[in-house]
Amino acid sequence: MNNKILNIKNLSKSYGAFKVTDEIAIDLNFNEIHALIGPNGAGKSTLIKQIVGSVRHDIGSIILDQENITDLSDVERAKIGISRTFQVSSIIPSFSALENIILSLLNGSNKTFQFFKNIKNNKDLDFKAKNILKEIELIDKSEIVASQLSHGDRRKLEVGLALATNPKVFLFDEPMAGLDENGTKIMINLFKKIKLNTPILLIEHDMDAVFALADRVSVINYGRIVATGTVDQIKSNELVRDVYLGYEI
Amino acid sequence: MIIEKFLNKWILFLLLIIPLCGLVFEEPYYITLTTKVIILAIAGIGLNLALGYCGLISFGHAAFFGTGGYVTGILSFHALNDELLFSWPIEFFGTSEMLIIWPIAILVCAALSFIIGLLSLRTSGVYFIMITLAFAQMLYFFSISWPTYGGEDGLSIYLRNSFPMVNTMDPFTFYLICLVWLVIALFVSFKLINSAFGMAFQAIKENEERVKSVGIETLKVKLIVFVISGTIAGLAGSLYTDLNRFVSPSVLDWHTSGEIMIFVILGGMARLYGPIVGAAFFIILEQTLGAYTENWQFWLGLILILEILYVRSGILGLFDKKKNNE
Repeated sequence: MNNKILNIKNLSKSYGAFKVTDEIAIDLNFNEIHALIGPNGAGKSTLIKQIVGSVRHDIGSIILDQENITDLSDVERAKIGISRTFQVSSIIPSFSALENIILSLLNGSNKTFQFFKNIKNNKDLDFKAKNILKEIELIDKSEIVASQLSHGDRRKLEVGLALATNPKVFLFDEPMAGLDENGTKIMINLFKKIKLNTPILLIEHDMDAVFALADRVSVINYGRIVATGTVDQIKSNELVRDVYLGYEI
Repeated sequence: MIIEKFLNKWILFLLLIIPLCGLVFEEPYYITLTTKVIILAIAGIGLNLALGYCGLISFGHAAFFGTGGYVTGILSFHALNDELLFSWPIEFFGTSEMLIIWPIAILVCAALSFIIGLLSLRTSGVYFIMITLAFAQMLYFFSISWPTYGGEDGLSIYLRNSFPMVNTMDPFTFYLICLVWLVIALFVSFKLINSAFGMAFQAIKENEERVKSVGIETLKVKLIVFVISGTIAGLAGSLYTDLNRFVSPSVLDWHTSGEIMIFVILGGMARLYGPIVGAAFFIILEQTLGAYTENWQFWLGLILILEILYVRSGILGLFDKKKNNE
């Protein structure tokens, strides 16, 4: 049986002569966290954008759960099960935390085109949204307008928005950026729970978090995957030390 | 928020009491003036859905307002002159029945806004503004060069279209008809903005990329909002033709698009009653300052500049501290 839920082959993207991603091949197994690390500007976020479809690739293919999604639009990819978080928190600032989560639940519950029923009276969506807020430890702040949440809480809300879509894979782009120790700990525990049901492709600069979470790690540099392996293999890889980790490990 | 709700009730109360006073004191002018405010407010409510709630800066809503007006004018013109409008699949001589005119105007404006929306919503920002403006200007120049329906001089209909069992020539009766449409437009708008669909289009205004990322087809959502918005504006145009018993290319001109936009901005974008306040304020300025100077719009411009610089959330925003500070 094929254990790969997401399989990316030869994905390339150039802006003129500059290759942002160069024949990237990366996959994601069921119940796995696959971390993608690399220096700033290596092409990690562009790769995420190519997978979700907001940036069109030049060549290559993306297979999700045996289905070729290479030619699908960003919305179609989101609908069939690719969920992401953004490098910089991307929420609906004037909505409360609860409303943000309800918005994320709309498509999955086929409620987007419900024109005249008051959304506030939908107990089912309210119940599901509150469960997610409990999971991300934001239930006490459910009524707070998202623009007034702290940075850490916005990062959690981002993850909550992704969770609410109930996808086949998660693409998390630096979810722990700017979090304090406690926030990172909450996130690590949450991701460990999430991966039991849904695999995660994780871009992260916090190496402690990556090494605590990842089943596999890929290293990207100048748009190319230079190494893939377990945490121990990556830690001991000379090339990886050179391009990213340094010699202190 | 509580003050704003109280104010909204006052606005409706004033829209009722002023024509009633006009009726009691036999001053039909005030009834007609209130009717004009109501009709322009309906157009504003339409645009407010697209502009205020969904962030679609349409500078071409005159296309729908004017088309609604011309549909009414043309149907009525043919009926009054007993002239054949088309002969296939049936012979149709137009109509002067409001109950037939309204659905036709609504359908035509819905179809037009669907086509314009489909083509223009693929753009955004300044390109969207320009493409909507261009469509409206196309229709404007077409109407000027269409001599059958008056060309530049416009089209007069000698009798207001009829409604069963009432005399629509009576200003107060026609005011009541328009008031009912205003209440319907407010009700539709209120229901929409509080629905799941409303949540989606209000989120698009703030962060379309995020909305796409949760699997919501933003283009489809925006198109539906644009069609509803254009249709409401078209209905207002239909009523406007009946109010004046005249329609001319000026209703399709970009000035009209600008004026509808001013109603929304003056009253307060994304506020249910904002367009009513905006339209009323506009008409009051026109009537008061206009009595002293032809250039009353200079003062309107000044007020608009001050509002955009210091209030932003419109006249109604003055009563909502929280929003006003944003």
